[in-house]
Amino acid sequence: MAEHRTPGDEGREQPLPFGRRRRTAASALVAMLVAFCLGALFNAPAMKKTALEMPFGGARSFRLALVRPLADVSHWLFLDRPAELTAQAVGRPDPGAGVRVAVVVPTPTPTATGKPGGHGQKPGKPLQERPLPKPFKGHPMHLYIAGDSMMGLPGMALVNLSNKTKLIKPKLDYHISSGLVRPDFFNWPAEVQQQVRTFDPGAVAVMFGANDNQGIETGSGHVYAFGTEGWKKEYAKRVQDMIGLLFQDGVRRVYWIGQPIMPSSSFDRQLQAMNGIYRSVAEKTHGVVYIDTWSLLSRNGAYSQYLPGVDGEMVQVREQDGEHLTYAGGLIVAQAVLDAIKKEWFAKKGEGRPSSPPSPRATKSATPAP
Amino acid sequence: MLFPTFTFAVFFLLVFIGNWVLMSRQTVWKPFMLIVSLVFYGWWDWRFVLLLALSAVANQFFALWIAGLRPRSAAAKWALAAAVAANLGVLGWFKYYGFFVTSVVNFLGTFHLTADLPLLRIVLPLGISFLTFRVLTYVIDVYRGTLRPASLLDFSVYVAFFPYLAAGPIARASEFLPQLTGPRDPRQIDTSRAFFLIFGGLVKKMLIADYLATHIVNGVFTTPGQYSSLEVLLGIVGYSVQIYCDFSAYADIAIGISLLLGFRLPDNFDAPYTAVSVQDFWRRWHMTLSRWLRDYLYIPLGGNRKGRGRTYVNLMLTMVLGGLWHGAGWTFIFWGFLYGCALVVEHMRVDRRKERARLVQRQRMELAAALDGIAGAVPLAEGPGAAPARPAAPELEYDRRPWRGAVWPRVGTFAFVTFAWIFFRSDTFGAAASVIARLFQSWGSVGAAVTPGVLLAIAVGIGVQYVPRTLWQRGEAGLSVLHPLLQGLVLAVGFMLLDVLGPAGPATFLYFKF
Repeated sequence: MAEHRTPGDEGREQPLPFGRRRRTAASALVAMLVAFCLGALFNAPAMKKTALEMPFGGARSFRLALVRPLADVSHWLFLDRPAELTAQAVGRPDPGAGVRVAVVVPTPTPTATGKPGGHGQKPGKPLQERPLPKPFKGHPMHLYIAGDSMMGLPGMALVNLSNKTKLIKPKLDYHISSGLVRPDFFNWPAEVQQQVRTFDPGAVAVMFGANDNQGIETGSGHVYAFGTEGWKKEYAKRVQDMIGLLFQDGVRRVYWIGQPIMPSSSFDRQLQAMNGIYRSVAEKTHGVVYIDTWSLLSRNGAYSQYLPGVDGEMVQVREQDGEHLTYAGGLIVAQAVLDAIKKEWFAKKGEGRPSSPPSPRATKSATPAP
Repeated sequence: MLFPTFTFAVFFLLVFIGNWVLMSRQTVWKPFMLIVSLVFYGWWDWRFVLLLALSAVANQFFALWIAGLRPRSAAAKWALAAAVAANLGVLGWFKYYGFFVTSVVNFLGTFHLTADLPLLRIVLPLGISFLTFRVLTYVIDVYRGTLRPASLLDFSVYVAFFPYLAAGPIARASEFLPQLTGPRDPRQIDTSRAFFLIFGGLVKKMLIADYLATHIVNGVFTTPGQYSSLEVLLGIVGYSVQIYCDFSAYADIAIGISLLLGFRLPDNFDAPYTAVSVQDFWRRWHMTLSRWLRDYLYIPLGGNRKGRGRTYVNLMLTMVLGGLWHGAGWTFIFWGFLYGCALVVEHMRVDRRKERARLVQRQRMELAAALDGIAGAVPLAEGPGAAPARPAAPELEYDRRPWRGAVWPRVGTFAFVTFAWIFFRSDTFGAAASVIARLFQSWGSVGAAVTPGVLLAIAVGIGVQYVPRTLWQRGEAGLSVLHPLLQGLVLAVGFMLLDVLGPAGPATFLYFKF
């Protein structure tokens, strides 16, 4: 599409090919304003959906105040129809679907949460407390890896390490900007439920939290600000529900990966608070192992962009944003998860399987205490 | 502030209005352009603005210092060296510090030695490599006497001009500064070409580059073991298409919005995957970088003026440094090295033909002279130290193409370029080797990532480069005659389609990190 010309020859406007016409600035402005306004009306439902997905607060309210009337006008004038019909024609999701459809968040059913007898399980000990089946060649253990963008490269590293063992069949499923706080943006409980039922993993590695430092809306519609007691209680419940959903469909181990140290001290404090919740739930729940990446990826308790990698060489462990992990950083996390998996799943005869977690069991059930 | 966002659309509308309203009042217009550019850059990180300001003031100081010295004197050379060292020093600090320190630590580690070097977290300012090369054109051209120092305000606008700030094109000071001298005619805007470039850029970025990245490329390059050989092959080819569509999209949008503001920027791409040789590829890919490397590195190194061996060394140095410019890593250096090797091979082939042609010409001339009965009386034009005693010898006749044919050179060049991209995309040699090895390990199945969407995106990304330029020009001409209201309607429908068919959120451009 390039067109050869020599810059710097302004003032000597030459005729354009095929009778192309130059226009005035005013006509360009008219074209752009029409494109802008009409484009906004065409895309109003999608804009409203984006605004609704923003963190609760002033910016969200402001954006909604702007786009709600726009979406209404678009709807009255049937200008939202072209985008809707186009999406239907090409099999894409309706751009404004999230605005019109209520989100259904699955929760573990009280009668089928891994307790004996639940979901066809045999009577006796909860599934997670029974000996783990040893994977062998041709019969690998399925590992489902889920999380937000922080899980991207660590997840890929874990996939590569798992494949090398030939005893683990991994599946990575990560979605940027997602988390447990906003199922209206991405419904993780529904996603894991579906994935677990189709992939049938023995173990699951999850990493959430980097996008969860925002207000949380309870089922009754109340919004708790981040960090409040109500927020902590609701967030812990979602972590427990997620684990319950995994366990009720037969998952034997959950490796909950905590958030690493962050360059911004305020963000780091927020994530440490969430790490406290993950750790606490893991300690109370048999079958859940907490992976402490904060310690793994800090240098004497301080943030560092560079650390010794898995092979001992100094490597850059964080991306340019300082937060996301590079592949080399992801390998450190992945190796820690794999070590935890090997410890239990690959234990040789006579070595015994150390109970996971090492802390005393708080409940007899495989699901977290409410 | 990313181009394909609502925020940028609002920003640009305001800048467009301010630009044309204020242009006739230059004393207001230039500060306006400077401020909006700083707002655009500061939107990412306000600290970056300080870097721009520092770069503008320091390089203006160097330019004035050099201009005040006797042209090309020793003092001027030292002043230029100081300017180059200062600019490359800043680039080195921000971009190469970590690479340097980890390389030293790991090298010493192989001898069981430890070096307690400080490993700092340095935030890489957006587009710093482009900025460095831009400002260097200013001080070097002032040194060469081909450009006079501009005012600090004009130079600052050149440094900070927002369309090319993050990822080029690398407009030279000598190309841009004259465009600040007088107001442009607001009745002579090439709007249809601008709209074509902007919309075409958005299509390439959102519908092809981002689609391929998420549907095959990222997966293949990070977890090749999960993919079949066919998927890996498509992932590698997909990356060739992705990087072209991503980078050229930014350049097209930058050129388009500059046109709407009355500025002309140099082209950056010219159907690079139609190239018939690696030389040809670099004439078509990132053209402003190629020009920069040629004029400010290869030629000052001696170019092809110091013998054949030195030419090859210069080519190799230029390409390796070009590779290092792209990123701080050994894989980038190797990527440049591969191109250096390819260029040397191509030059050797052409040089050999040239040598033969020279021999033939010499023999012909000797024969002609003998036949004329004046053999030995006239020195030969091509002889060492010979002065032409007769009209210059006819131009040497030989095939200047490194590779003959129409199809295979294209296929071969594309295959080589695609192979080289593997190292460009991979973080380590180990990762690159995993991708290459996987190409030969799993031909038994097709793989779920081989979808019609991926195949279509690859086909369109390559095929679009074979569409004759006249077809685009006819399209631009057709759009230009429409009423502005209709133009707006066409664009609005286009944006709606992009929104429906494109990814959920805007992704940053690949070249931002360079």
